[in-house]
Amino acid sequence: MFKLLKLEFSKFRKSTVVILLTVMFVVFFPFSLTVTRIFEEFPPPFPPAKVFVQFSTVWEYLGYVGNWMVFFFLGVMIIYTITLEVSYKTLRQSIIIGMTRNQYFLSKIYLVVVISLIATLYYSIIAFTVGYINTPEANLSLAFDNEWAIPRFFLMSLGYLSFAMMIAYLIRNSGLAVFLYLSLILLVEPLVRLGHVKFIGTKFQNYYPMNCIEDNMPLPLLRIADYIKTGELDLTILLSYKMAAIMSVIYTIIFVGISYYSFIKRDL
Amino acid sequence: MEVLRIENLSKNYGSLKALDNLNLSVNNGEIMGILGPNGSGKTTTLGIILGILKADSGNFTWFENRYENHRLHIGSILETPNFFPYLNADENLDIVRQIKGVENKNFDELLELVKLKGRRKSQFKTFSLGMKQRLAIAATLIGDPDVVIFDEPTNGLDPEGIAEVRRTLQDIASRGKTVIMASHILDEVEKICSHVTIIKRGKLMASGNVGSILSNDLTIEIASSDLLQLSQFLQMYQGITNVEMKGQIIECNAHVDTNIAELNRNALSKNIALTHLVARKTRLEEEFLKITGKPSNN
Repeated sequence: MFKLLKLEFSKFRKSTVVILLTVMFVVFFPFSLTVTRIFEEFPPPFPPAKVFVQFSTVWEYLGYVGNWMVFFFLGVMIIYTITLEVSYKTLRQSIIIGMTRNQYFLSKIYLVVVISLIATLYYSIIAFTVGYINTPEANLSLAFDNEWAIPRFFLMSLGYLSFAMMIAYLIRNSGLAVFLYLSLILLVEPLVRLGHVKFIGTKFQNYYPMNCIEDNMPLPLLRIADYIKTGELDLTILLSYKMAAIMSVIYTIIFVGISYYSFIKRDL
Repeated sequence: MEVLRIENLSKNYGSLKALDNLNLSVNNGEIMGILGPNGSGKTTTLGIILGILKADSGNFTWFENRYENHRLHIGSILETPNFFPYLNADENLDIVRQIKGVENKNFDELLELVKLKGRRKSQFKTFSLGMKQRLAIAATLIGDPDVVIFDEPTNGLDPEGIAEVRRTLQDIASRGKTVIMASHILDEVEKICSHVTIIKRGKLMASGNVGSILSNDLTIEIASSDLLQLSQFLQMYQGITNVEMKGQIIECNAHVDTNIAELNRNALSKNIALTHLVARKTRLEEEFLKITGKPSNN
């Protein structure tokens, strides 16, 4: 495992695109917390703005920001690291000079897992630090009273990155893969869900893949909205954390399976 | 030892038959040239035996199945040199080293061989095509492989680059490695290879050592003031075949034991004064054209 990870590191440590995406993720993620300063107060029944940088809301708020950061910067990075090897033909070369297809595929899986772990660690450090600074009378038990936010963030990262990996293996062209990845998440699935609600109803409309992954770390305001909404609508805005986690694992397995099948069966 | 055995290998791209029951054997120490016109299936054959293309049917074995991962014992360039453009020569070679599981991180000797020692810290994207090709040759030699495979190694190079790469290949061959080289440059194959395989439309047309592929014929170029009379004379002459008018000369084949001086005397006795007479051994290019039935891309 470490040999394969070291190999991946050797390949991409000097890539300008990878460095740029990493720097943007590292900088923009904590920087996003300053956005809360724009809002002095939210209208009732929402809590005061400062709550977003305090325990335990900071885990949810920062997790939601991370949702976008991981989806965009790290997702694009995964697509780039896979499609780049197709366009430079270093993928073919790796197989020719001795890697088995399984080893090559595993190296990308390890990359996805390790990047997800590092992103989760980074998220945990920022949330803990910011929360500790801003929460009056903060203590460790209050700090980690966060409804499994850390594993949920990890599952969310793993879900997005394995989806990015699948798109990269299927499309194999950098520009097209990024376009498809972004449009599937931002446009196609929301439109399909809208159509689902209109033509089929509100049952199962939250079980689409990207929505399940996103609901691991949703916008905290939406969770509040779910609590306060009246019983007039037969509609739940978010999946429960437990269901989102289960569905994320299922979809991640499907994404990895499709990637593997596509990679093993096709000519390189 | 049989280094490579290919049995009944077939591959289709849609309705196009790229390989049609191809059989081939390469033994230890041979320098095998795989010849064929463009689209004959050379690169497809190499792609399959190197694991990047899937055969539709047939099979192949490397090293009589002695190694668990045979590709670690093979060095290869397929089509173009493939490296990370933003990494330098040393860093790219190090990636190959890691994949091959080789401990030695010192590439001095290899870079010396391909004359890139002075550019080892330059990014791959700054290299000329010849330098890229030479770096790829260096990469094939990492881990001292038993077999090296080159696919059109001089493709796209200028004459100086071709000469450099050819010298390097001859150097590698002289080290006793088994070399498999696909090319449509017949002169290159004739100069470097000990054995040759000719394929056309995915089918094996001929295979064996270069001597056995080249027939025992002489090619004779002959001319006189009356070409028609000369042509009739040659067609009747015992041991002369394939008489063909080519502009102001006649080209024909004769057995290697044919006495050329006697041919001249006999022509004179028939009042045919020869103005041009050259006899030479048949070259691979002529044999290739005979076998494939079409002009080469050379």
